[in-house]
Amino acid sequence: MTEHLELGNWGERIAANFLSEKKWKILEKNLRLKRGEIDIVAMDGKELVVVEVRTRTLGRILPPEATVGPQKLRKLVRSGEEYVMKNNWQGPWRIDLVAITINNDNSWDIEHITDISVGEFRS
Amino acid sequence: MSLVGGITLKGINAYKVEVEVEVTGGLFSISIVGLPDAAVKEAKERVRASLRSLGIRVRGRVAVNLAPADVPKEGALLDLPIAVGLAEKLGSLLLREEALFLGELALDGRVRGVRGAVPAALLARELKVPLFVSSENVPEVALVEGVEAYAVNDLQELIAHLRGEGVLNRVTRMDPSELEVTAEPDFSDIKGQGAAKRALEIAAAGHHNVLLIGSPGSGKTMLARALRGVLPPLSDEELTEVMLVRSTVGLSFENSRNRPFRSVHHTSSAVAVCGGGTSLRPGEITLAHRGVLFLDEFTEFRRDLLESLRQPVEDGNIVVSRSTGSVSYPSRVLLVAACNPCPCGWKGDPLEPCRCSPTEVERYQKKMSGPILDRIDLYVSVPRLSSRELLGLEGQQGEKSSQIRKRVCNARKIQQERWSPWGYSCNAELPEKLLRKEISLKSDVRTFLQGIASSLRLSGRGLSRVMRVARTIADLEGCDNVAVPHVSEALAYRETGFLS
Ligand SMILES: [Zn+2]
Repeated sequence: MTEHLELGNWGERIAANFLSEKKWKILEKNLRLKRGEIDIVAMDGKELVVVEVRTRTLGRILPPEATVGPQKLRKLVRSGEEYVMKNNWQGPWRIDLVAITINNDNSWDIEHITDISVGEFRS
Repeated sequence: MSLVGGITLKGINAYKVEVEVEVTGGLFSISIVGLPDAAVKEAKERVRASLRSLGIRVRGRVAVNLAPADVPKEGALLDLPIAVGLAEKLGSLLLREEALFLGELALDGRVRGVRGAVPAALLARELKVPLFVSSENVPEVALVEGVEAYAVNDLQELIAHLRGEGVLNRVTRMDPSELEVTAEPDFSDIKGQGAAKRALEIAAAGHHNVLLIGSPGSGKTMLARALRGVLPPLSDEELTEVMLVRSTVGLSFENSRNRPFRSVHHTSSAVAVCGGGTSLRPGEITLAHRGVLFLDEFTEFRRDLLESLRQPVEDGNIVVSRSTGSVSYPSRVLLVAACNPCPCGWKGDPLEPCRCSPTEVERYQKKMSGPILDRIDLYVSVPRLSSRELLGLEGQQGEKSSQIRKRVCNARKIQQERWSPWGYSCNAELPEKLLRKEISLKSDVRTFLQGIASSLRLSGRGLSRVMRVARTIADLEGCDNVAVPHVSEALAYRETGFLS
């Protein structure tokens, strides 16, 4: 369990660095809200982004976006809504996925999938 | 008011749909008000993906409003205006004037042709606004005079154009004077059948509906197909009417003055023949407008289907009712029906014996007097040729369709001049009363007609039909007055000739 948590924390750090290099402004990390958790909140230019980070060692059996099911996605939508309400964010926002896959030789790959809710969830 | 317009179709007419787009903050979502749910989902995906392919990211809460809300609409027709409206709201372009957009988007931004381009062009012309259509729709839009239309291959070049880069080509009008009749088969391709060809020439000349009666393999279908080649070429006005109808079902332009030829099978549904259905499209009878509607195996048709054709054949238009209101489509057709002479098919055949009992034949022939048949002026026998006859005809070239067409056109011109004071253009259109009054019979014809009417026991209607056909035969010969030989020939095309 601790190993799993440590892996998660490591992944979030890697993801945050990755996004910072893209000139994103990181607002929050590992945020606990009433309706759930958000790994990273950042600004992509004028758009606020709720980032879900997935870290895995399994190799590429499933495409990363398939690891976030509709239930998890709805949860992210609700957490995102809570965050923008609380912080009075009026502009557009979206949900991204950063998937980190650790290879057998301990190297890792990062995949970034933007807008995983693809307009399917209306608040 | 939004400057972005799309269209929706009602009947063969296009109506403007105003596309208003609002974008507010929030989680990305697109809602489209005014489209059926299933269409919304697909339209959303196509619009978003195609904008994305140009690097335009749709963000925030997008609300697309299609007004008026209570008019039925089709998603694919509205992809392009929705995408343009969105691109404008997202700051990718600035529209300076009102315009109509028509096209379906592919996920990579290509713009596909859709049905309704001709009605859209007519609407754009009426509203005096430019129309942007898929390049695939250009041939038909080019037929419409006086419309400012632009050909679009993909969304990228459309947006560049609307930014003021002026990259799109304006659709140039196609000169219809170069169009000709190219219909096939030609009459000269059909061996023998001199009598049937003559009857079809008369049918074409007076716009008379025909029933072809003959055994299997006698060439009824080929004759019916060849008929459109001897009909007068479509006029410019008729060409637009035909293209308007074809466009509403997404059929392309034929690039000729050929009249339509549509064949209906007896198993066809009433919707396929008459039009309607959930998507409210015109049926075969409307696709045959200004051309030939062919009903093969006529005796097999359901009575209700024939009943539903009766009024449209008579009136030249068909009204299709639906919960959202009724729509009228044009249906001025030349009806060609075909059937076997008896249930087994071989009655009167030179080679094959008929196996039907007299009662079976009688019952069968009763079907030949059902609905619609009172609209038939000419009953034509199409005998199967024996191989010896066919060999005897070898090397003999029959008359070309173009030659026959010349005579037909002359006869039509005479009719047009004669009947235009009453608002009619051909003998078949004429009401019975007017026909009898204005037919101009030679003095001896009246007594001749009275004689045969009593000896053949012709009904009033039957007599009118003979007079009508005789008038056309006289017109083909350029005779002012109908003479006895014209009437004699017309008598040969009565139904009783087959029922005896
Ligand atoms: Zn028979």
